[in-house]
Amino acid sequence: MSRLGSTAFALALAGISTQGQDLPTATEIVEKSQRAFYYPGADMKAKVTMELITEAGKKRTRVLTMLRNNDPKSKNQKYFLYFHEPGDVRRTAFLVWKYPEKDDDRWIFIPAVNMVRRVAASDSRSSFVGSDFSYEDVSGRDLAADTHTLLREERLGEVECYVVQSVPKAATDYTKKLAWIDKTTFLPRREEYYDLQNELARLFTADKIDDVAAGEGDAKKTYPTVTRRTMKKVKSGHRTEVSFDNVAYDVGLDDDVFAERALQNPPQKWIR
Amino acid sequence: MVERTLNRLAALSAGHPWLVIGLTVVATLGFAFQLPGITTDTDPKHMLPVTSPVRQYNDRVEKDFDLHADVIALGIVNRRGIVNRETLSRIAELTREIQKIPGVITHDVVSFSTLDDVTAQGSELAVRPVLDRIPQSGEELEAFRKALFGNPLFLNRIVSSDGTATAIYVPIEPAANGKEIAAKIRKILPQDRGDDQYHLAGDPVARDTFGAEMFRQMGLFSPIAGMVMGMALWLMFRSVPLIVANMAVAMVSIIWAMGLLIGLGYPVHIMSSMSPVFLMAIATDSVHIFNEFAFRFGEVRDKRRAVLDAMAAVGRPVFYSDMTTAVGFASLATATIVPVKIFGLVVGFGTLVILLMSFTLVPAILMLLREGRIPKVARGLERDDASRRSGLPRLGTLCVRHARAIAVVGGALLVVAIAGLFRIQVNNNMVHWFKPGSDVRTADRIMNERLGGTSTAYLVIDSPAQDAMKDPAMLRDIEGLQRELENDPRVGKTFSVVDYVKRINRVLHDDNPAFDRIPDSAEEVGQYLFLFGASAKPTDLDNVVDYPFQKANVLLQLKSWDAGVMADVIRRTEAYLAAHPLPGGATVRPAGIAYFNLVWSDEVLWGMLRSFLAGLVLVLVLLVAQTRSLLWGILTFLPLLFTIALIYGVVGLVGKDFDMPVAVLSTLSLGMAIDFAIHFVARFQQRYQEEPRLQEALVWTVARPGKGIFLNAILFSLGFAVMIFADLTPYMTVGVLMAVIMLLSALASVIYLPGLIHLFHPVLLKGDAR
Repeated sequence: MSRLGSTAFALALAGISTQGQDLPTATEIVEKSQRAFYYPGADMKAKVTMELITEAGKKRTRVLTMLRNNDPKSKNQKYFLYFHEPGDVRRTAFLVWKYPEKDDDRWIFIPAVNMVRRVAASDSRSSFVGSDFSYEDVSGRDLAADTHTLLREERLGEVECYVVQSVPKAATDYTKKLAWIDKTTFLPRREEYYDLQNELARLFTADKIDDVAAGEGDAKKTYPTVTRRTMKKVKSGHRTEVSFDNVAYDVGLDDDVFAERALQNPPQKWIR
Repeated sequence: MVERTLNRLAALSAGHPWLVIGLTVVATLGFAFQLPGITTDTDPKHMLPVTSPVRQYNDRVEKDFDLHADVIALGIVNRRGIVNRETLSRIAELTREIQKIPGVITHDVVSFSTLDDVTAQGSELAVRPVLDRIPQSGEELEAFRKALFGNPLFLNRIVSSDGTATAIYVPIEPAANGKEIAAKIRKILPQDRGDDQYHLAGDPVARDTFGAEMFRQMGLFSPIAGMVMGMALWLMFRSVPLIVANMAVAMVSIIWAMGLLIGLGYPVHIMSSMSPVFLMAIATDSVHIFNEFAFRFGEVRDKRRAVLDAMAAVGRPVFYSDMTTAVGFASLATATIVPVKIFGLVVGFGTLVILLMSFTLVPAILMLLREGRIPKVARGLERDDASRRSGLPRLGTLCVRHARAIAVVGGALLVVAIAGLFRIQVNNNMVHWFKPGSDVRTADRIMNERLGGTSTAYLVIDSPAQDAMKDPAMLRDIEGLQRELENDPRVGKTFSVVDYVKRINRVLHDDNPAFDRIPDSAEEVGQYLFLFGASAKPTDLDNVVDYPFQKANVLLQLKSWDAGVMADVIRRTEAYLAAHPLPGGATVRPAGIAYFNLVWSDEVLWGMLRSFLAGLVLVLVLLVAQTRSLLWGILTFLPLLFTIALIYGVVGLVGKDFDMPVAVLSTLSLGMAIDFAIHFVARFQQRYQEEPRLQEALVWTVARPGKGIFLNAILFSLGFAVMIFADLTPYMTVGVLMAVIMLLSALASVIYLPGLIHLFHPVLLKGDAR
């Protein structure tokens, strides 16, 4: 599957260049969407606030700095996540080296015992730090893991969208995903995940989209960025609201920031 | 005054029989239209009213800890051990198929393939389902076995200590039907199952199986009871119209009462499902009217006069016996257990309908009997009477003559009974409502033998301070409480946030057993829990601590549904807390289905005792009013007291649990068993006033109304005895006990009353002798 993934990636790239004016295929749309959503810029930094909210309205808040770096030669990425809140976990940090073609490498730093541990990249469908998002929702899913079909084009509110259905090829915790993908920015506006009973189980909504300038100083290029998003478990009513603040692209994060030893001594410059 | 009104009503009805029948039919149709709207409710939690603090607290606990109220347990047993490739792949496949069933809460199904395991693999920390993929080689199987038994959280929860049993826990939506989902699970069980055996248990299966059985009870046993009573009536009177009249009274009261219940929007509970049989039995009270009518017609040979005379003679005892029955049932309304309350009111209402019919429909039907057929009735009775002529009067003579001896025997029996009363054990066990060989009970037994237990309780620790559950001192106390509770062999499993903290500590330190303990700083605990919450399924943590870490939940699995187990858990908890007060003044409060059973079990005892005493007093007051004498009132009361003491003495002696059905019966039997004494005393007094010769009057009463009493008691018993063939033990209990109570109270009335009246006549008849 992993080799398939990169093949599909190459094919998709080829498709974009040759087909030109024709209607894009479903795989092309999803590929473009992933690039717009997970890969903008060479690197990225943001202050992320996650609120885990129960149906009854109880909240748990996590505040973290997210640093991301793209490998220019592949679809590989590195993430550094540094927790500010809750207070008793301050300085806890996660490091994720993401490879679409194989299992991620993950490490965690536990400050109370001053310990760095490798963490098995178990199921990428598992919850991201206890939220309603999965690891995959945060960093993207292998393009070739699903069969993509363009169902229709329709207007979602004011936005012209492609509606793409993605059905996982191997059994997983959902049976299909419907995504409303913005025709101009290619950002997902809404995603519906259906469970084994074929009922709507999770709902993703992009609540706020901002144009964020790349690089510091003179802004030549801007990236449309989802700065507020919600994932809701429809059946239990539990939801996670995420806001991205102080988003910046192409700030020049070098590879040292994403080294294992950085977990214990995080780069103060970037995490503040 | 009441009597005059009733007699006028009877005379009026006798004058316009068709009008009375027409009106009755119209009203009955009105009630019958409500019947199709029937719903049932067998949830034991609904035994307590919505407003009950126990129920409200339980709802909050379930919300706070993201717990599901209804969980089906599918036990998988393989005597050669479940750790083999075939069984494991069947478990994984089955889990996935179960997750697809509508009504199942898919993401919270617990099995080998979904339950997270926290392990150290080399230097790597891993959180993933223990059965992540099916082990293929012997080595992989061995590794799986090691993982399974290496995590104490799994032991007795999803694997038995001997490795022969596992379970899939299937939470279902509150609105889903447990029996239907159980049926769907049964349908997808693999055909090719090797040595695996499957067992379905859990509260939703039990109670929804129960619900289905209730309909069967109503649909099957009520008509059978009716037929049996009809046949007995035929043997007694050999008259179809009489049987029709009796059945009509029964049907009208059943339809009115059930129609009212359903029309008002109440669901049918286990108790109210028995209403039809009760009403059918109570309706046999009209036998006294037929009995007297047959005698009178033989004497006067005039239908109208015979009807009016019979009504005048038995009207008073019929009125009072129905009233006491209604009062006995209505006294259940003082109970706090909702279904019992509703049942009491429904049957009470039905009894009043029977009373009304006795003075309207019955005389109307009697008037419609063709004259030509009545002599047969009377002759039939006379012939019957002749064959037993030597029987009842001789019994009467015997009772009067050996009054002292009989009193002594009675006293001795009473002493034995009282000894038995002290041995009564109060207990409710819903699983025991099924027969020992039934699927539900077998599954429950097998799973309780091997795994932690099918009954669940929660102990919620509540601190005034946030983050209190990260305090190592608090965790150590919780751990101590768990170990203390596990000393009871019926507590099969306990788990709490402590188990997760210890597990993470050990796993982070290269699986070193020395770290299988609570860390020393709150910071460490906080970060371990964060790590756990960040890697496992969110619900894993949510089940044991609330969002602000202010409350913790200790989950208990109990191996028995007996209320006493939970009572002992609470006692142990209190004793432990007295010795180890929790930091920061935190408190502990129980919840969960096991606690529910305990609470309403207590409610059954004390609530029923209250209702029973209230009923006793009310019945006594009615008796005094009816006999217009305190002494006579008490005398009439004695056979009832004797019957009840004897029955419950035997219940205590044979060690049968005093559970809800038995408890409710005590109150019911009150109103019903008194009827015979009322008839006996009323008719004796009438006779004695007409001809004040004591011995002759007593013997006459035993012979003539005594016959009605025995006929009534036999009819009654037959109707209830049918329930012996039910599939659920409460129906059997009620059937047997009710039949025995009626026979016994008939015997007590006919044998003891003449003796007692004879013994105490100097006091009793002082005023009457004028």
